[in-house]
Amino acid sequence: MFTFTGTNGKTNADRVAIVGAGVVSPLGRGLSATSDALFSGRDCVTAITHFDVTQCRCKTAGQIADHQLSKPRGRRARRLHRAAAMMITALEEMLAQDRQFTPELAVIGTTSGGMSFGENYYRALQRHDATRRAPEWIANYPPQKPVADAFEAFDISAPAQIIANACASGTNAIGHAFDCIRSGRYRRVLTGGYDAISELVFVGFDSLQASTPDKCRPFDRQRTGMVLGEGAAVFALENFDSARARGANILGEIIGYGISTDNHHLTQPDPSGVGPRHAMKRALRSARIAPEQIDYVNAHGTATVFNDAAEGKAIAELLGKSVPVSSTKSMMGHSLGAAGAIEAVFCLLALQKQILPPNINFRSADDDVDLNIVANESRPAKIDIVLSNSFGFGGTNASIVMRRANE
Amino acid sequence: MSISIAGAGWVTPLGSSISEVWESLCRGDEATAEPICDPVGAKPYLVYRGPENALTNLPRHARLRRASAISRFSAAAGLSALDHARSTSHKIDMQRVALVFAIANGGVIYTKRFYHDIVTTGAQSASPLLFPETVFNAPASHLAALLGIEGASYTLVGDGAVGLVAIKMAENLLAEDDIDFCLVVAAEEADWLLCDAYHKWRLLRAAPPIEPFAHPPRGAILSEGAGAVLVGRNGAVRIEAAHAGKYFSSRKHAAAALTKVARDLGSDDASVVIGSANGTFIDALERNAVGTTEIYSAKPALGESVGASALWQVIVATQFLATKQLPPLLHAPTRERAKIIADRVVVLSCGLNQQVAGLRLSI
Repeated sequence: MFTFTGTNGKTNADRVAIVGAGVVSPLGRGLSATSDALFSGRDCVTAITHFDVTQCRCKTAGQIADHQLSKPRGRRARRLHRAAAMMITALEEMLAQDRQFTPELAVIGTTSGGMSFGENYYRALQRHDATRRAPEWIANYPPQKPVADAFEAFDISAPAQIIANACASGTNAIGHAFDCIRSGRYRRVLTGGYDAISELVFVGFDSLQASTPDKCRPFDRQRTGMVLGEGAAVFALENFDSARARGANILGEIIGYGISTDNHHLTQPDPSGVGPRHAMKRALRSARIAPEQIDYVNAHGTATVFNDAAEGKAIAELLGKSVPVSSTKSMMGHSLGAAGAIEAVFCLLALQKQILPPNINFRSADDDVDLNIVANESRPAKIDIVLSNSFGFGGTNASIVMRRANE
Repeated sequence: MSISIAGAGWVTPLGSSISEVWESLCRGDEATAEPICDPVGAKPYLVYRGPENALTNLPRHARLRRASAISRFSAAAGLSALDHARSTSHKIDMQRVALVFAIANGGVIYTKRFYHDIVTTGAQSASPLLFPETVFNAPASHLAALLGIEGASYTLVGDGAVGLVAIKMAENLLAEDDIDFCLVVAAEEADWLLCDAYHKWRLLRAAPPIEPFAHPPRGAILSEGAGAVLVGRNGAVRIEAAHAGKYFSSRKHAAAALTKVARDLGSDDASVVIGSANGTFIDALERNAVGTTEIYSAKPALGESVGASALWQVIVATQFLATKQLPPLLHAPTRERAKIIADRVVVLSCGLNQQVAGLRLSI
């Protein structure tokens, strides 16, 4: 008979260890290449190559070259969406670090799944093109499919919850996975996020004039908007005692998570910053730490006028004006459902290397956003605890708190 | 931890009142299919539409002014579930309610309109008003604004089983002390584009009826609407087990996944399985998975509402437990029905694209 309380029942141990991580993003494939690009402040935003952007204001994005992506061999590879290949690439790296990791649950964030397959299908329909590929595009378009494909590639049989909370999806996924372990209901949860760039989403942000024809300049006085990105990142999370008992290599810890919903507007945050403030406050409470213990904030920092003003206000009010802050979207764009997971990898690297990642393309501070921005160049620092923010359409706000690995 | 269903609401092609729709199902009624226009290929499709009054009898709210049918259906179902819970003396503080929204095809009408403009006239004509409504969590956002939910709100995506996966997530969320209830909502809107896609995928038939367990399978008819259940720590119907579900990568694997989930939930001990048989490959797999246990599916009467369908199954299960009645299984090969004891029921759902999930309920 199925056990209602989960596989390990309720336990008192509530520390959640990171025992594996994998990433592919415009900054590179794998933790090592990512670290090099991240701390050298490399601008990885390039001209769009996947579709026509002649009529768009913005013509750039952070993109991953196809040769950077792993694909399984054989006939199936042709049917896979790029997003599935991104998940496979990130999972491959994570599983290589801990071959014994067998998740009981997966919680993955995304916003658009295999969207470009949906676009292919609709374009073929409009051309009256009775292509034989239509069923394949339809079957591989849904957001759960790239996850299922990646799991099949590695024989992972864990049930999955696919969260689509817009741009906060990745952080929501990690946070919910953390809660599942901390509550004692699960011991090992695979989590992360993915998204591949698509025409519909690109044009959507362009139509809102949320994306910029300029460089992405988070928190800058003359910021004019975001650029999009893509990628995938995954984490192996495990109950700390369980991980230690089997001798797993503990890379760091997730120690807190906060979520809030801002009902101000479907696409714009409440200017007071109440949504982000609540999410961060709940994350601190969940982590059982004081605001002054945060050594670095990886901001959502999209470089839109509204987001950065509301987030900056919330950070300054809650955490103070001296905590170092950067938005790493300045280097690779906004990868939507993957952003929270990729930025959690950046936070992990910051904790491991004791280096603050830079906020590039920064020229001058905004009078209304009074923060200690890690401007343009990375810098060494003592970093024990970091906070990472993700906010999205629909008023979803999520924050996680991570700690450096120590016994 | 024990969790229960404290309230329920739905919008179906047979109406929006749980008791009235239940009486219709028990009488053997089925919804009337309506034609849906395909302006591209001029192909005729038939679907079961949601009731018009569900879209108009909603409270005035700025968020619902431009919202698509999917958001309006879910608002109606969500409000109804809360009213139902309040009517049975549950006190609900919305600050302590989480929202889990289950979605499959999402806001397909606005998404199609938005992308159609891009394809036919170029990116410059893309509408900034439509784009935000194409995002998967737009219906959840509207509902949270309508209900004043400011804490946890999650949108889960998946196939026909996603509603049950959402209840599993609600169970996880209720492990937190700061949440009293979790409102689980699932919705679907019908459009010719979905009909074309499911037709090309060879899962749709041209006209009703849906004939469950027919061999060979003849296909489903799509429908639309929403379901909502308020999950709490107390309520009339107890959720004995919420299965986390399984993925399948082929129909062969689907059979194994269904059998595993059915066994884990003890379907042999249940008096009835409320299944997801919809006239497709799912039917035979489901029959094999549950053995001799009685299976009932409301899909021949209500249609295949994909994202909303699993929560409709849950509500059917709660009605079965409450009324001790099981409606007739329409258009199915005749089978003699064993005497049914309505004390425990299993809800089993196999989606069309890779997910299987289940619940066990009792009163």
